Amino acid sequence: MIVSSGGEHLAQRGLVQKQAQALAHSAPVIFQIREKMLDASSLWALCHEIAPVIDAAGSILAVNERFDIALAAGAKGVHLPESSCPADTVRKATKGLIVGQSVHSETSALKASSAGLDYLLFGPVFHTPSKEPFGPPQGLERLREICAKVRIPVFAVGGITPDKALACIECGAWGVAALTPFLDAGSMPETISRYLSFMPS
Amino acid sequence: MTLPRRLLCVITDERSDPVELARMALEGGAGIVQLRRKTASGRQLFEWAVRIQELCRERQAMFIVNDRVDIALAMQADGVHLGQQDMPAPAARALLGPGAIIGVSVSCTAEAVSAAKDGANYIGVGHIFPTYSKDKPSPPLGTAAIKPIRNAAQLPVIAIGGIELKNAAEVIRAGASGIAVISAVSESDDPADASRELVRRIRQA
Repeated sequence: MIVSSGGEHLAQRGLVQKQAQALAHSAPVIFQIREKMLDASSLWALCHEIAPVIDAAGSILAVNERFDIALAAGAKGVHLPESSCPADTVRKATKGLIVGQSVHSETSALKASSAGLDYLLFGPVFHTPSKEPFGPPQGLERLREICAKVRIPVFAVGGITPDKALACIECGAWGVAALTPFLDAGSMPETISRYLSFMPS
Repeated sequence: MTLPRRLLCVITDERSDPVELARMALEGGAGIVQLRRKTASGRQLFEWAVRIQELCRERQAMFIVNDRVDIALAMQADGVHLGQQDMPAPAARALLGPGAIIGVSVSCTAEAVSAAKDGANYIGVGHIFPTYSKDKPSPPLGTAAIKPIRNAAQLPVIAIGGIELKNAAEVIRAGASGIAVISAVSESDDPADASRELVRRIRQA
């Protein structure tokens, strides 16, 4: 399960910190920090603050794109957008980090996979307002094709409610990712376990 | 890492093709090219950076990436330039190693002293004159601020902000090692010639 932060949507102060603390009471996840409004200094400070909390919870903090900040702040992972620095150069510069990438096409999926990345995020599978900039929904069949073509774990993203998680797993997805259902940090552990209950372990 | 004296640093703007701008700036004798484009994707920045670094090597000039230490790490740039809102310089140093050039923007003595303590190789001091390149809430520092800031940090100063042909020599005489410009080169009809003229002025200062 990947949980994506996205404070730019609601500008809730302290949401990321609350989400990080809530992970202490939840099954381990990849927590992708995706705060595009923050400058590098604030993002570094935020990651530095939450990395030990997320570590202690057994989860993995993945910083969006800025692997320099991930390395400097003690995060365990980095999540690359599709239009990032070439994946192989990131792989080389980030020994020991878990590196994933968002992909929206088979070409990008194959490239990321052959660069030795650890996982892919493919979508949007279903319709969701937060993924509209990434084009129309690609659907479960496209997800199935991508999962069949690459050898690394693929997480499905885009409009995936807990009840839709099983269909994604049946298409070959390793797991699923979501943002909107976690905007309420208080119910986050419960929401995560609802997702997991729909997925075979 | 010591910085040559009387240096012209050309910073890319938000509009021009940065590689073409760098090529012309280097042709005109720029000693540093700094890639700065806040709106570009990581992939785009990486591709530009690789090509500009090559051009800089051919001319024995230095290539610096603004803010994005990740890009500098991925393509092994000569260095980075960090603003007060960017990654802290010690963190950047730990990632880039002792050989990298790290510049830090400062606008007062206290920031300059911190930059020196943080292991910066030079400080970007500004803005010296009124400028329209960036939104500046504070008043310009003026050339008289250069010496006290330089003396406090004991680091080379690259002055920035509203520097153009008519005031470049004055900035050097006031104690700066070099000048950094955006629009004075990028908005000129002939960026190579504009760079050449700036270099001539600062060498004669």
